[in-house]
Amino acid sequence: MGVEREMDLYGRGNHLHPCMTYANALQPLPQPSQVYLAQRPPGLKYMMGGCGIAGCISLDGRLIAGDRIRAMLTIMEERENGLGAGYACYGLFPSRKDQYCLQFFFDDEKAKERAEDMMRSYLDIVHDEKVYHHPVADLRPPYPIIWRYFANVLPKSMKGEGLKKGEEDVVIDLVMQINSEVDGAMCISSGKDMAVFKGNGFSHQMADFYDLPRYKGTMWISHSRFPTNSPAWWAGAHPLSILDWGVCHNGEITSYGVNRKLVEMSGYKCTVLTDTEVVAYIWDLLVRKHGLPIQAAAFAMAPWTYDEISRLDPESRKLATWLRFTYREAFLNGPFSILVGRSQPEVTLIALADRKKLRPMIVGRSPDGGIAYCASEECAIRLVEPDAETWATNAGSPMIAKVGKGILRTGTEHPFQGVSP
Amino acid sequence: MSGTAKKMDTKLPERFKPVIDYQSCRTCKRCVNECSFQALDFRDNRVVPIGGCVACGRCLAVCPVSCIEIRTVPSQFPPHGNWTERMRRAIYAQANSGGVLLSSCGTDVEHPVIFDDLLLDAAQVTNPSIDPLREPVETVTLLGGRPGRLKVSEGEMLRMKGCGNPLVVMDMPLMIGHVSLGSVSYNTQKAFFMAAKELNIVAGSGEGGLHHDFYQYADHICAEVASGRFGVDPEYLKGMAAVEIKIGQGAKPGHGGHLPGEKVTPLISETRMIPVGTDALSPYPHHDIYSIEDLAQLISVLKESVEYSMPVGVKIAAVHNIAAIASGVVRAGADFITIDGFKGGTGSSMRVIRDHAGMPVEVAVAVVDKRLTEEGLRNRVTVCAGGGIRCSADMIKVLALGADVAMVSTAAMVAVGCRVCQQCHRGLCSWGIATQREDLVQRLDPEVGAARIVHLFNAWNEELKEVLGAMGIDSVESLVGNRDRLRYQGPNPKIAEIMGVKHVGEGWG
Repeated sequence: MGVEREMDLYGRGNHLHPCMTYANALQPLPQPSQVYLAQRPPGLKYMMGGCGIAGCISLDGRLIAGDRIRAMLTIMEERENGLGAGYACYGLFPSRKDQYCLQFFFDDEKAKERAEDMMRSYLDIVHDEKVYHHPVADLRPPYPIIWRYFANVLPKSMKGEGLKKGEEDVVIDLVMQINSEVDGAMCISSGKDMAVFKGNGFSHQMADFYDLPRYKGTMWISHSRFPTNSPAWWAGAHPLSILDWGVCHNGEITSYGVNRKLVEMSGYKCTVLTDTEVVAYIWDLLVRKHGLPIQAAAFAMAPWTYDEISRLDPESRKLATWLRFTYREAFLNGPFSILVGRSQPEVTLIALADRKKLRPMIVGRSPDGGIAYCASEECAIRLVEPDAETWATNAGSPMIAKVGKGILRTGTEHPFQGVSP
Repeated sequence: MSGTAKKMDTKLPERFKPVIDYQSCRTCKRCVNECSFQALDFRDNRVVPIGGCVACGRCLAVCPVSCIEIRTVPSQFPPHGNWTERMRRAIYAQANSGGVLLSSCGTDVEHPVIFDDLLLDAAQVTNPSIDPLREPVETVTLLGGRPGRLKVSEGEMLRMKGCGNPLVVMDMPLMIGHVSLGSVSYNTQKAFFMAAKELNIVAGSGEGGLHHDFYQYADHICAEVASGRFGVDPEYLKGMAAVEIKIGQGAKPGHGGHLPGEKVTPLISETRMIPVGTDALSPYPHHDIYSIEDLAQLISVLKESVEYSMPVGVKIAAVHNIAAIASGVVRAGADFITIDGFKGGTGSSMRVIRDHAGMPVEVAVAVVDKRLTEEGLRNRVTVCAGGGIRCSADMIKVLALGADVAMVSTAAMVAVGCRVCQQCHRGLCSWGIATQREDLVQRLDPEVGAARIVHLFNAWNEELKEVLGAMGIDSVESLVGNRDRLRYQGPNPKIAEIMGVKHVGEGWG
C-alpha cells in the first residue's frame, strides 16, 4: 500500500471519523511503562482480548507477497490498539523445506547462548541468521534479538528413555524446555517451511519492522490485537505457533480452565498462557497425535448441540456423540474465530468460528480461483480483491484449503462430509 | 455395676414441645393419630404433649386449624462453652445404655461449609453472556468410561472406528443418590425412580436390591453392589443403566450399611433375601476386596456379567487420601467414580463416624480432579460427587470443582416431605419416608413425591442454565473442572490453594 499516512499521537493512521471529537481523539492513551520482549511479564497468568484476523492462501501454487496480507490486516484498524500484531508465512523456504525453522526472541546474548546450547543437544543446526528487521520511527525500542535457525533433529535425540520419540515430539519438548527454563528466550515458531513475524505494536508497524514485502510464500495468516489486560509483550503476540501449527485467534474462551487440562494431561506445557496457545496445542494433539481428520477435530472444538446431533443419521450421531464425550476438554466454549495454518504434510489453511458464531469470519475466493481469503471483516478481502466471491462459514464449520489443491471445504457442508485428499 | 436392677436412666429435659392453642383446637385428634413418635395424647378432652417430640412437623401439617406450634425448648442445662448441651446429652445417653450412639441424616455438626466460601464468575464485555431463554444452553450429561482418544476413518463421510463403550445419557448433570429400599419405604423409592425416569436421569438403587415392581424403571437405575451383596443376582444386574460397586459411603467411611431389624419386614426380606426381623449389617469391607487388584477383578467380573452393556463404577467415601485412591480406582478399570463427601446422608450411622470421619466433598472433588489430570487419567472416567449438596449453587460449584455429575439424595427426600428430624434409624418416620410401617408408608403418594422431585430438579437445572449463560458457557461440560470460574472468599486461603481456586480479587492475569 503506497499510501503515506500522517501519524497522530497514537502512532496510528490519522484519518478519524468526523464524529470523533478532538478531545476524544487526542487523549493520549497511557502506554505501558515497561515493554517485555521474550521474557514472560512477571505475574502474568492469562491474557485475553479482542482482535482482527486475516489470511490468504494460494490455491494454484503461485506465491503471495507480504504486502497483500499487510493491506488486509491493517485496514481493520478498529480491531487493534497497538499492543501486539503478527504474521505467519507458509511455503516460505522452498530450498530448506525439510528442515525445522526455529525462530526465537532473546532478551540478551546470554539467553541466546543458553538456548543454543540446549538446541545443540537435540538438533543439528545447519544454518542460522538474524531475522531481518529495521527500526520503525514510531515503534519504541527496545527490540528483542530475533534469530532464526534451520536444523535437523539428531537421530540420537529420538531415542529417549525407553520410548522412541518422533522428530516432532523432540522439537516440541525442546521448545517447551527452552521457553520454560531459559529466562529471556522464547521460541516463536518451530515448524518446517514457515516462520512467524510478530511483536508489540500496530499491525502496520510490525509489517514495516520486518519488511514483509520482502517475503513471498504460498500462505499467510495474520493477527492484530485489542488486548484488555495484558502487558506489552512481544512473545505474547499472535500468531502463536508450535511445530508448523500457527494459530491466529479472535476470541475469549470461557472454557480455558478445562481446555488447559487436556493439553497438560497430554504433556504440553503452557508457557505463553493464552487461550490461543492452548488452541494450538489442541490442534496438534487431535490432528497430528490422534490422527483425527480436520473436520472431526473442528467438531470436537465447536460441536453441534445434542439436539442437533439427534437429527443426524445414526452413524454420524454416533461419531458426533463420541467426539463430544471423548474430547469434552477440547470443546472451546465462548466466542472465537480462528485461523489455523500448518505446513505438514501440505500447506493448509483452516478457518473456524465458534458454534454460535459470536465472532466474525468471512471467506472469499479471487475471480480466477487462484487465491482464497479469510478475514474478520469483508473490507479486508475487498481491499485486495474487489471482485472476490465471498461467503460466511457456518457456525462451527471449518473452511479448509490446501495449496495447489483448492478449497476442500467451504465451511457450509455437513460436519462429517469427507474431503477428497 | 452394670446389669443392676436399679433404675439408672437419667431423665433429660425435652428438646421440643408442641404447644396447642386450646381456644382454636377442635379436638379432632388428627395430630394425636398422626404422631408416629407418640408425643401427643388425648386426655381430659384435650390434646396434651407427653414428651418425645422430634419436631418432625407432621402435627402442624395435618392440623385443620393450624393451632399447633412446635417450640424449641430453651436449654435446661447450665451454660458452658466447652461442655455443650450436645456433649452432655451424649454422655447421659451412653451412660444410660452403654451402647454406640446412632443417628441418621447427614452430620448435624456445624462444620464449615466450603461451598458458601466460593463465588461464581460471570461474563462481561470481553466475552458475551448467553441468554438461555433465547439460545441453547446444554445440560446433557454423559456417564461412562471415556476412551481418551477416538479413531475416525475418512471417506465420503467420516465414520467412527469401533463401537465405543456403554454410555448413559442424562438430561442434566444430576443423579438421585443411592437410598436403599429398607432404609426408605417402597413408596419413597418408587417416587425416586418415577422422577428419574421422567427427568431422564439416573437414580441409585441403594444396596438393598431391587423390588420386582421396580424393574420397569431399570434403564434409569444405577444398581449398587455393596459389601452385603443384598439382592444381587443376575436379573438385578441386567438391563440397568449402570452398576456401581459401593466401597464406602460419605456419612460412614469405613463402615458398611446398617439396617435395623425393626425395618426388615416381609417386603424387605424378599428384596434383600434375608430373614424377616434380622439386622442387615453389611460387612465393613467387601470380603473379596482387600486390595486394589481385587477391586480390578470385581470390576471385570461385573463387566463380564453384564456383557459390557453398561458402565461399571465405584463409589468411595471422601477420605484424606482420596486422590490416590481415585487414581487407583480408575486404573482398576472403573468407568465412573462416585465421591461421597462426609456430609452425605444415611439412614443409620454411628455418630462418632458420621460427625468426625472423612472430608468435605468440595475439597475431595477438587483434589481428585487435579490428581487425575496430573496423571493423564481425567479423560478416562466420569466423576460423580455428592454428600452435602443442598441447592443448585452447591451443584454448580461441585461441577466447577471437577465433578461431571452431582449426586443428590437428602434434597430429594426433603422435596417429598422429609423435615430432617434425624430419626430415620428408628423406623417411625411420620412422613412415610424412612419407615416400613404400612400405615406410615401410605402417607406418601409416590406420584406426588415424584412430581415434587421433578419440579425441584428441573428448577435446579434451569438455574444451572442461567448461571452457565451468565458465565458465557453454552454447555455444561465446559464448566466441569473449570476452577478458573470460581473464587474463594473464606477464612482459610490454604483450602483455596489445595482446591486450585484463586482468591477473590485475583483476576485472570
